[in-house]
Amino acid sequence: MNLHTKTNNVLRKRVTLVALAASLASMSYVVSAGTAGAASNPGFVLYSSQGYDHASVNAFNATNPGFTVTLNDNSTGPLLQQIQAEGNNPKWGVLWVDGASAFAQLDGEGKLLRNSVPPKAKFNTLGLQNVPKDGSFTPTGLTVTGALCYDSSQITAAQLPSSWSQLTSSQYKGLLGMNDPSQSGPTFPMIAGIMDYLGKYKSGSTAKSVSAGESFYTALKANGLVVNAVNGATITAMEAHTISMATIQSSACYGAALTTFPSMKVKYLSPSIALPSVIGIDGKASKTVRKDAQKFVDWVLSPAGQAVMQTADPQGDSLFWPVIKGENPANPIIPPLSTTHAISTNPYTWGKLETQINTWFDSNIVNGL
Amino acid sequence: MSESSPRAVGVSMSGLGKVFGEKLALDDVSIEVDPGTFLVLLGPSGSGKTTLLRCVAGIERPSTGTITIGGNLVVGGKTYLPPERRRLAMVFQDYALWPHLSVRKNVAYPLSTSSFEKSERSRRCDDLLERVGISHLAERYPNELSGGEQQRVALARALAAEVGLILFDEPLSNLDADRREQLRIEIATLTRDAGMTAIYITHDQSEAFALADQIGVLNQGRLVQLDTPENIYRHPHSAFVARFTGVAGEFPVRVTGARGEHCVMVALPFGAGHSIEASTIENFDSGADVQLFVRSSGVSLGVPSNDEGVRGVIIDVAFNGRGYDHVVEVGEGFTLTKVFAPMKFERGRNVKVCFDPSACFVMDPTREVSK
Amino acid sequence: MAIAALDTAAPVTPSPMTTSKKRGSLGGVVLWIVLTLLILAPVGSFLILGVSPRVFQQGSQWFTLSYVRQAFSSYFGRGIFNSLWVSTSVAILSVCVATALAWLIHRTNVGGRKFWAVMMWLLLMMPTWMMTLGWGDLLQPFGAAQALGINTHWIYGEFFGPLGIVVVLTSAALPFAYFIISAGLQGLGPEFEDAARIHGAGPIRSLQTVLPIIAPALLSALAICFAETMSDFGVAFTLGYHSNFPMATYVLFNAISNFPANFSVAAVIAAVLIISTIPPIVLQSHVMRKRSYAVLSGRTRAPRRRQLARGPRALATAAVAGVFFIALGVPILGAVIGSLVKNLGIDSPNGVHFTLTYYAQIFKPSIQGNSLGAPLLLSNQLGLVVATGTGVLAVILARRLIANPGSWSQRITDVFLLGSVAVPGVVLGVGYIFFYNLSFISNNVVSIYKTLPLLMLALVANAVPGQTRFMAGPVSQIQPSLGEAARVHGAGRMRAWRTTNLPLMSRVLLWGWLLTFTKTIAELAISQILYPPSQEPASVSIQSYLANFAPNTGTAMTVVTLMEMLAVIGIALTVYRLVTPAGWRRVGFSGVQS
Repeated sequence: MNLHTKTNNVLRKRVTLVALAASLASMSYVVSAGTAGAASNPGFVLYSSQGYDHASVNAFNATNPGFTVTLNDNSTGPLLQQIQAEGNNPKWGVLWVDGASAFAQLDGEGKLLRNSVPPKAKFNTLGLQNVPKDGSFTPTGLTVTGALCYDSSQITAAQLPSSWSQLTSSQYKGLLGMNDPSQSGPTFPMIAGIMDYLGKYKSGSTAKSVSAGESFYTALKANGLVVNAVNGATITAMEAHTISMATIQSSACYGAALTTFPSMKVKYLSPSIALPSVIGIDGKASKTVRKDAQKFVDWVLSPAGQAVMQTADPQGDSLFWPVIKGENPANPIIPPLSTTHAISTNPYTWGKLETQINTWFDSNIVNGL
Repeated sequence: MSESSPRAVGVSMSGLGKVFGEKLALDDVSIEVDPGTFLVLLGPSGSGKTTLLRCVAGIERPSTGTITIGGNLVVGGKTYLPPERRRLAMVFQDYALWPHLSVRKNVAYPLSTSSFEKSERSRRCDDLLERVGISHLAERYPNELSGGEQQRVALARALAAEVGLILFDEPLSNLDADRREQLRIEIATLTRDAGMTAIYITHDQSEAFALADQIGVLNQGRLVQLDTPENIYRHPHSAFVARFTGVAGEFPVRVTGARGEHCVMVALPFGAGHSIEASTIENFDSGADVQLFVRSSGVSLGVPSNDEGVRGVIIDVAFNGRGYDHVVEVGEGFTLTKVFAPMKFERGRNVKVCFDPSACFVMDPTREVSK
Repeated sequence: MAIAALDTAAPVTPSPMTTSKKRGSLGGVVLWIVLTLLILAPVGSFLILGVSPRVFQQGSQWFTLSYVRQAFSSYFGRGIFNSLWVSTSVAILSVCVATALAWLIHRTNVGGRKFWAVMMWLLLMMPTWMMTLGWGDLLQPFGAAQALGINTHWIYGEFFGPLGIVVVLTSAALPFAYFIISAGLQGLGPEFEDAARIHGAGPIRSLQTVLPIIAPALLSALAICFAETMSDFGVAFTLGYHSNFPMATYVLFNAISNFPANFSVAAVIAAVLIISTIPPIVLQSHVMRKRSYAVLSGRTRAPRRRQLARGPRALATAAVAGVFFIALGVPILGAVIGSLVKNLGIDSPNGVHFTLTYYAQIFKPSIQGNSLGAPLLLSNQLGLVVATGTGVLAVILARRLIANPGSWSQRITDVFLLGSVAVPGVVLGVGYIFFYNLSFISNNVVSIYKTLPLLMLALVANAVPGQTRFMAGPVSQIQPSLGEAARVHGAGRMRAWRTTNLPLMSRVLLWGWLLTFTKTIAELAISQILYPPSQEPASVSIQSYLANFAPNTGTAMTVVTLMEMLAVIGIALTVYRLVTPAGWRRVGFSGVQS
């Protein structure tokens, strides 16, 4: 008699449990799927925003069977947000993005593995300029930011300015565009470089450089500077003839010229700003991860790694200047680096000012009233 | 319990209490309902009658006390049987018809868990629809029916359950007067024909008197009187019961003397201290201040003559079909309502007012409950 | 055996239908644990940085108010101010338009009622970034309108400003208001209107008399529209940004897009967004106290429809069509035509050409490995899991929300849910990293950071608050007596729910599921920050095409994704129609009944 009652209750409970289990089943399925396939040495996760990173990882994994590099490919912004939010429990093994200022900051917090620059790498002059003293990160290539890209169907080479200061003259009113440093990775280094240059020109301190730079961009805005979010948007604005020229990243200009925008040409004012693509290793990672990561960084700087970088994204990020002696740009559209008048800025000095300068820029240039 | 036993079941409630937060909704209620009895629980809103019914149904769980249905404990101590295992049926105040099911499917719902063959189910369903007079609506949906039709569906559904106990939660309160009358008769006959025990709650005393074998009057969570309709009407145990079951008027009076057991003389506050006889269930000393309750059946009107008696003036008169209901002013600020007479006394006319001792009760106004 | 079934000596577990205290509190505890893991802890982890950046190593102070000051300083403060006034305007505007639409569609014989009801659903599912994309493609110089020979120069500048922002956000908020008000109208019998008119009021005055009766619905709609608009990122990121009109969610995003990100200022802004939803809900609960929405039962009679004369009917139909054209038609047309124009937005010397090239490029694997194929498949899988999980949780929460009207637990749940609606996706995303990457959590509780389940949880957390409030209306309309009647007549708890409540809720469950499904596919802010390595969802792919490499291909991808969502909706509705009994479709939900 009791048995029957109990059975009924057990049955009812079971039905409830089954319903609960069913609602969780899909999730647990994916949990297992997400964690399955973990090998004995899973390697590390590469946080990268480079256009050729898929090809690099595939090539590396194919030739280095000991462990697997997992690629976390995203824009620079989200990658850095992830790293910052991960705090003291980092999940990245290697970071590979354009610009050294974030690396300088991470190094300042002791989060990078020092002396990780591949000893075998034979850097050329500009490469050496971008290797930090403590060896906490490594340049893997160079592009130039602050390249003056122009639409030759709208403005001829002869009409172009010959210096940065000329951009504020009325002749160029409403013709110039650039990117928003809060959304476009290569733009802060450009602004910092210009500020640095203007400050040196006035032989002053960083503070003076910043205020000189702020005056310069305020003047540009008064002269009709158009700010778009990122390279793509700025180039689209040129194609729509909203603007005729823009100070953006060289590789983006060459990429557009090679594809949809044949009348796109590039002029380099003096100076332009060297923008290294940089790779660095998590200093807090386990010994195994550090060892594996170092192996990957060494490979990137090796001829094999350089070859992948130069070929995998032929109309985008592969359009760079190598930092290794004897390597040449992949595409003849890229002129010798010496013609770009590229200078390097100190990422340790300027990286600290990124938030301050970008916030100023957003308040006064992008959304200025 | 087996299927062949007589269908009607007895219900026994003992010491039922229910607390909602701070509020005591049921307070130590005990009722025995014999198999086949039609019990009406009568009370104003908030008296606990709905809570009591829902406890029997298993929709609420009482805080204390026990309930047995057909001799089986359904709630008490650690035992709690969910509604679906109590073998009962219910007609809801808002009908609770499932709007996504046709009339036929609504009625067949309780049958689907039974052991009947499909053809038998369908036959029983047709039979029930026939009995409540809505065969022609079988394929309609509830929102296509009138209120009365909807309540018939609800009744058919409850009868379909083939169980020994049927509960009614104010089933007529949402209907208009003539339909209410009609459906009340059907509820009474169909339920008795089906040989079911019924517990029916209402706040309408005429409904209660018309339907009940037994009436339980509830007030503030307590059962104040449980008796036959006749006894409730003739011998109310408290001022509350008297009032709630209908009085023509009530007045403060003073006891002037005893007239045997259960009968006293009282001096009226009007009519120049005229005394009348009245029933009582308590013993009152002479000089006690008490309250007089007069049923409408306890007053009659006559043409004034020379003899002594209470005089009144007709204030209002209403035709009710069989005769006339009068409102009579018997003294400054004292009126009697619903005073019936087969003939009409015009407004403003002086009349003689006679009281029938058996329908006049005196009670201690300070005591709400007397056992 | 019958005796055995009734034997009471066995120590059966008490399981009354009503909330026995023990069970109620246990269920409540489990529910709050789930909500804590899902929303409270991650969002709290983020918000605490506003005053205590050191908690997650984002600064040196344990307590500071400097970020609060910073958040209200010029740039950030401007964003907050803009969002507040835009959201207020949008809430009022959408409630006005929605009331008119609901009345026309439910209470008059306006043309195309069923069609408009379905369109309202599509509008609800349309992400705001797709709307702005469509508008932009249409109006921009050398855009879709110009390709068709329509001059849009005069409106382009106007649209990229507060005007366009309010138009798009009102379009997006409209369905929320519409569905809530429709439910309110259902409970409003025609007798109220009639009574007012009999007593001498004209149509306008009778409307004035009737409106206060549905005031709770109107306030509820205002509150939800306000919260939805405050938290919208799609418009702030596109229209707001391009028209130099910073809004709260954008300045929040901006605060964390530099390196190092200023999470603390972002946390203060997020807190402002959440707190801003409290006044509307306080007002709403003040008015709603002790009012019940339970109106759906077998007894409910269909309200009468006002028969408009031919002229007014045509006019009303045109007005409804006009609203839908602006809200839904324009953006979709803009995107579709835009995706077919060769080099959209570019002054081509060869004139305008239409092409299918961009559609051909969509599924070609590119160098970046992010063509639309795999991401769209992944997004559909995400949508499936997230919509199902959200549906289950939302039903449970909705029942709780309506269980004890006026009680503290109900009020807390209500405030919590509406506050959560206002949490921007990016806050949830970063909060998830903070919380689920804590060593304590990943070592002892669950280690799912950088996996799909984490993304799914975050997407569920993102969808649950809105979904719950959305379901609370229809769920509360089901009279409890319907379930009780089933129990009393022999059905066990599961059977009673399955045979009585489920049919009545089936339609809202289906639409709710579809809503979460489509919103999940289009979701960007959380997906962008939480997608695991090599598992890029469609919205992220599309966005990277739109922003970086090929906006035309990105637009084509958007159109294909939209079509795919429509196809899923179509299939789901067809299956529902084929599988469910006729009675199920008669009742349950005012949304698509006209």
